[in-house]
Amino acid sequence: MAMKLMAKGSEAEVYRTSAFGIDAILKDRKPKAYRIKELDESIRSARTRSEAKITYIADSAGVRVPNVLFAKRYQLFITYIDGSQMSTMMQQGKRISKGMLVQVGKYLGMLHNAGISHGDFTPANILIDSKGEPWIIDFGLSSISDSIEEKALDLLLMKRSIDSASYAYFIEGYSSKARACKIVLMRLSGIEKRGRYNERS
Amino acid sequence: MAVIGIESSAHTLGIGIIEDGKILANVKRMYPISDKGMIPMRVADFHVRGVRKLLREAFSTAGMGIEDIEAIGYTMGPGIGPCLSVGNITAKTLASKYHIKIYPVNHAVAHIEIAKHLNKFSDPLALYVSGGNSQILGITDEPFKHYRVYGETFDIGVGNMLDNFARAAGLKPAWGSSVAKLAIGGHYIPMPYTVKGMDFAFTGLQTKAVGMLKGSSPSDVAFSLQETAFSMLCEATERALALLGKKSLLVCGGVAQSQRLKEMLQHVAGSHGAKFGFAPDQYNADNGAMIALVAEKMLGSGKHSYGIEDCGVRQDYRADSVEITW
Repeated sequence: MAMKLMAKGSEAEVYRTSAFGIDAILKDRKPKAYRIKELDESIRSARTRSEAKITYIADSAGVRVPNVLFAKRYQLFITYIDGSQMSTMMQQGKRISKGMLVQVGKYLGMLHNAGISHGDFTPANILIDSKGEPWIIDFGLSSISDSIEEKALDLLLMKRSIDSASYAYFIEGYSSKARACKIVLMRLSGIEKRGRYNERS
Repeated sequence: MAVIGIESSAHTLGIGIIEDGKILANVKRMYPISDKGMIPMRVADFHVRGVRKLLREAFSTAGMGIEDIEAIGYTMGPGIGPCLSVGNITAKTLASKYHIKIYPVNHAVAHIEIAKHLNKFSDPLALYVSGGNSQILGITDEPFKHYRVYGETFDIGVGNMLDNFARAAGLKPAWGSSVAKLAIGGHYIPMPYTVKGMDFAFTGLQTKAVGMLKGSSPSDVAFSLQETAFSMLCEATERALALLGKKSLLVCGGVAQSQRLKEMLQHVAGSHGAKFGFAPDQYNADNGAMIALVAEKMLGSGKHSYGIEDCGVRQDYRADSVEITW
């Protein structure tokens, strides 16, 4: 099985590969030399399991996500999506259409309805495929909880990453789907008023 | 001409003298901490009683007098109000009596700057870990040149957490050194691990560890607490390092005296091809030299000057609100 390193993040290494004849990526959580073995293995296996589970729940909730083909203790094989990160498109000055932003907002609303907080909802974790369809990726920091705060933090990350006109389209999509939209938006303005966020910009 | 710095943000009264970046004196006097913690007014009284003697000691160490001093820096904050006031009033008194320039210095910025200076790093990522603070910072130019806080504790500083645990375990609270000793030979027990992106939280871990003192081996609890807390700091730091691509990493502040933490961060830096650095312990603990160093940089940049009336104290003075003018 030929493998090519695509990205080396702090959390995992991502390789391009194939599984069952399907174009795939391998997300491999490598050991961290700084932490003791017991803690290292428990963090890596818990996050691998959680990512596989939440990706599956997101898929069942109707959100466009790549499928987890199979999981090992510290490794996930996930279908390869041929697309560009929204963050890269923004850097290259490519237009992000209203339709894409509204759809991304809808997907986040659907995730929240399913009890999922993404945990790292930024344009780097949104892929746009050749048909202009957005895909939500990387559920490595996601959690399942009723927390309004976590949901508001998903919105905050997005708000900090895109301009205000784009954010308005995104929120239009979000509020058309998210059942707890009002209370999440209220919490968001509460978070923004907190001292620590004022000077952190 | 030299620059003098006075630090009094918490239990340490420190005075340092610097000339052209060279540290000529770094003397200190530390309030003896009891197992009950600190009463701010008592600590401030202790500083007041010691400040004249310590000033004389600093001058004799450096082999100079007040006439050789061009500027004076003091810790404006963050810190404990009554303690900060002692350094503030001393600095203002000297400045007005001898007509010396005065500079208010941010304590966190000073910790980073002295470690940066001693390691000759130009643009490091800094993990600042002390009793009251735990932050990951790096310089950015937007919207003005300042240390941006990329990650920080949601609740208490890691040093505070280690001290609280030390007291509960009947040990002396001292930036985790007593916890580190107790941890020797301990075995790992799972504990709450809270990292959100580049932020982290310690109170859940503290509550769990203190509760476990009944019924588990104290050594196992101390070991697991230390490993868990430091692993959290390392994970958040590694994420920031990978995101920003900085070429050097430094650790500073009181908890940077921990050997174990430094050993772990060395791995983090190494795995991303970054250099790793830290200052000798006397500069990780609170000290006057770092305040003098920043005052000298502020003087050198010539960008701002401060009148006596501009010089107060700010208990909540955040590092990311300080313009870096040098």
